[in-house]
Amino acid sequence: MKRLFDIFVLRLRTLFGRARAERELDREISFHLDQQVQENIAHGMSPDEARAAAKRGLGGVTQIQEECRDMRRTNHVETIWSDLRYAVRNLRRTPGFTVIIVLTLALSIGANSAIFSVIQGVLLKPLPYPQPDRLARIYFNSDTQPKFPLNPNDFRDFRERNRTFESMAAITRHDLQLSGTGGEPMMLRGFSVTAGYFHMLGLSLARGRDFSTDDELPERGRLAILSDRLWRSRFAADQNILGRTITLNTETYTVVGVMPPGAQHPGNNFQAVADGDTVDLWTPYSLYQMPNDRGSHFMDTIGRLKSGITHEDAHADLTAILEQLKKEHTGKGWRVYTIPLYREMVGRSQRMLLVLLGAVGLLLLIACVNAANLLLARASARVREIAVRSALGAARGRIIRQLLTESLVIALAGAALGTLLAVAGVRVLVAFLPAGFPRASEIRLDSTVFAFTLVVAILTGLLFGLVPALTASRTDLQQSLRESGRSATGTGRQFQLRNFLVIGETGLASVLLIAAGLMLHSFVNLLRADPGFQPQQVLTASLSLPYQRYREVPKRVQFYQQLIANLEALPGVQYAGAGTDLPWTGYDGNADGFKVEGRSDAYNQKTSARYHVATAGYFRALEIPLLNGRFFDGREDANGPFVIIVNESMANRYWPGENALGKRISFRSSPQEKDWMQIVGVVRDVKDQPDSTTIRPAFWMPHAQQPERNLFIAMRSSTDPVLLANQFRLAVRELDPELAVADLRLMNQIAGAALSGQRFALFLVGLFALLALALATFGMYGVISYSVNQRMHEFGLRMALGARPSDLLRLILSQGLTLSIAGAAIGLICAAGLTRLLGALLYGVKATDPITFAAVALLALATTTIACYLPARRAASADPMHSLRSE
Amino acid sequence: MSKPSDLIQGTLDLLILNTISLQPQHGWAIAKRIQQISNEILQVSQGALYPALHRLEQQGWIKADWRVTEGGRDAKFYTLTRAGRIQLQRERVQWERLSSAVGLVIRMGASV
Repeated sequence: MKRLFDIFVLRLRTLFGRARAERELDREISFHLDQQVQENIAHGMSPDEARAAAKRGLGGVTQIQEECRDMRRTNHVETIWSDLRYAVRNLRRTPGFTVIIVLTLALSIGANSAIFSVIQGVLLKPLPYPQPDRLARIYFNSDTQPKFPLNPNDFRDFRERNRTFESMAAITRHDLQLSGTGGEPMMLRGFSVTAGYFHMLGLSLARGRDFSTDDELPERGRLAILSDRLWRSRFAADQNILGRTITLNTETYTVVGVMPPGAQHPGNNFQAVADGDTVDLWTPYSLYQMPNDRGSHFMDTIGRLKSGITHEDAHADLTAILEQLKKEHTGKGWRVYTIPLYREMVGRSQRMLLVLLGAVGLLLLIACVNAANLLLARASARVREIAVRSALGAARGRIIRQLLTESLVIALAGAALGTLLAVAGVRVLVAFLPAGFPRASEIRLDSTVFAFTLVVAILTGLLFGLVPALTASRTDLQQSLRESGRSATGTGRQFQLRNFLVIGETGLASVLLIAAGLMLHSFVNLLRADPGFQPQQVLTASLSLPYQRYREVPKRVQFYQQLIANLEALPGVQYAGAGTDLPWTGYDGNADGFKVEGRSDAYNQKTSARYHVATAGYFRALEIPLLNGRFFDGREDANGPFVIIVNESMANRYWPGENALGKRISFRSSPQEKDWMQIVGVVRDVKDQPDSTTIRPAFWMPHAQQPERNLFIAMRSSTDPVLLANQFRLAVRELDPELAVADLRLMNQIAGAALSGQRFALFLVGLFALLALALATFGMYGVISYSVNQRMHEFGLRMALGARPSDLLRLILSQGLTLSIAGAAIGLICAAGLTRLLGALLYGVKATDPITFAAVALLALATTTIACYLPARRAASADPMHSLRSE
Repeated sequence: MSKPSDLIQGTLDLLILNTISLQPQHGWAIAKRIQQISNEILQVSQGALYPALHRLEQQGWIKADWRVTEGGRDAKFYTLTRAGRIQLQRERVQWERLSSAVGLVIRMGASV
């Protein structure tokens, strides 16, 4: 080890202290000489004689010096330096070539760095919690529900009885309205959490304490932990905040803690809030408020595994507990479903990111092929230079090294410029990320991304430099030297190689174009699909009536009825309505195991439908068409008879071939006559998300009979709906000045956000595909144009022998078409295998959609024809006289 | 530039390492000692000596530093490093094997 270090220091010294090393060598040799002279004198020579004899004995001093220099072995570093200088000088001599090749590489390397930084932030970086691989999400699932939140009592049993978790906590969305701090009442994004939630995640509080199991008792629940953001913005970073009381939902809460800045919400599934620094405050969840309820499921559960325990162990442990629970209580067909937190958070975005990485990787490959092509063209122009160098004694390895140094310089320049592009590109990417994209806040250009860029650049340089370097260094010395400088040409082999490269480039570009084409096709399908409602001209908002002041059910019903009546009285408002959710917002309220009148128990156990509540005007405001029966009429009585509206899928699923009107369902296991809910209307299907492949059965209960406190409002306007926003606020304030208005959005925006994932992927893949097409066209132009230049003499002769310009035009075009047909064919074959990886990014189009494939093939041929047209025109204008004269 | 054959180059390394294994020496003294000990049979040419010294130094077998000779002059003295001592041992073993092998072959040729 020490020896290696010594050697290293020594080499560094010889490298940087060259002059000193030379001086020392001189001194050493002159010392030797002097010793020899003295000895000679001792043997009786005269001083002059002695000196002459000593010099003779020593031999050539320069030669010794040279050999010592060789021995110092720093030569290759010095040659690298000279190679570098030579490369830069060479590249500066052909600025056009250099600029083009560096720019194309910069674009593709920059795109790679930008996409990689997204992948690094979202997929590769560990989650922002200590030992994140020990965190697991815990769900139920069943035949009808893939992922279902836990019931609070089931959660408590899991927490008490498990042997595999160090700690376990559950959270549920609990937005609260903050008032009395000056300013308008404000809706806060909040979660109710069980004891030790932050400790389980591994987060520590900036001040104060985590919730304890005592806080889960009903009489202790009026406590709050604030986010750093809320503490600063609404409480002026009050140093004495702990113990201070604040007004939430018109009740008094005591602040017991403040989180540090950027406390990360791990994301949740039920009434989802995106992960990241997205939560304003946390309150304790009272686990004892509904001791006998095993049917309501709304707790998003996370556990931290004990060290050494696998996710499978934990799953088995919880499954055993669930089996016990089923014996103790009447359990339904639930199973335990656990998933590592990391997979849960990034799972949905993984596919899209990998597709983007693949696309951008292909783009880089195309840029490499393009660069190789340009280098080959240049190498054939440099045949003489290389021949002269080898004639002067440069070894083949030396020439290859020189050429590779050039391509590395190009690649590194491209990477440097590309990094600048990536800095800008990442900002744009993050700004355009789809709504709710996981871990978006973690995306940045960091040292890992720079390292990635450097490695990519070096690999790229070697990749596109190697083939041209090997080919160029193999030139036939004699032939090239004999030929005059005027027509130094590439060999036939080189030309064939360039043809292959162009074919490959066209093929790769076709793959990207097909991917983009399929995604475009999907996107058009999504846009053209009937959403089942009309998002234009609708303003939406959400309201949440505080429990304390709206404890009595009639007050809630009356509030919403009055508000909607007032809204509909506004000029410009056509319809207004309220419901538990809006289309395409990821709502996931479910009713499972309801009774369908006249069916067996076994049948009823498997029933499942989306559960909604709506007022009379809800369907009209969103223009969800009525297919049969009637909408709610606003005269529904809280005491029955109970009525519901169902969607088309529900009618077809549970009453196939029958008229669903008048049919009845019930949530009770043994319903009495008054417990039945009768279907009064059937409405058009609305998908959960625009790209959902199936439509779930769904039903709506009238608000008067299921008086929820939290509803979304939808107003259809005959004018610009944005103008209604202020009138809406006023209408709410008029009824209840302490009520906060939240989520004011146009339904159009919601619909747009629901498609933002597809739009994002389509935009990027489309962009990469267009760049790829441009590069391939450019490569094609380069090859054809070069070959035309080489053959102008021949074309002149052909003209002299009677060929018409149109013949030459056709000749060149067919040469180009042959290449592009070969390339497109290869591309189509590869694409047929690869597009399957697009998976869920496609909608309503097969991965081998013939229309897309044909269109891309045509596009490839069309652009090639354009690329070949200019060179073909040049060929057609060949001058026969010129050729004959030079013959 | 004449390059000594592998055998001779290896041998010269062995001779140098062996010579300075007793005490640090400067280049001239190394050449002189090899000459004396071998009864003037082995003449180390300076043209081979100095490149060899530099090579051994680059490989970390020997270290160089400037010291004052008995005659009061500055000279570059070479010292064996720890790694060099191990290397010397290795080269000695190799030399023994090589020379006895050569001896065997030559004797067999003589008996024919």
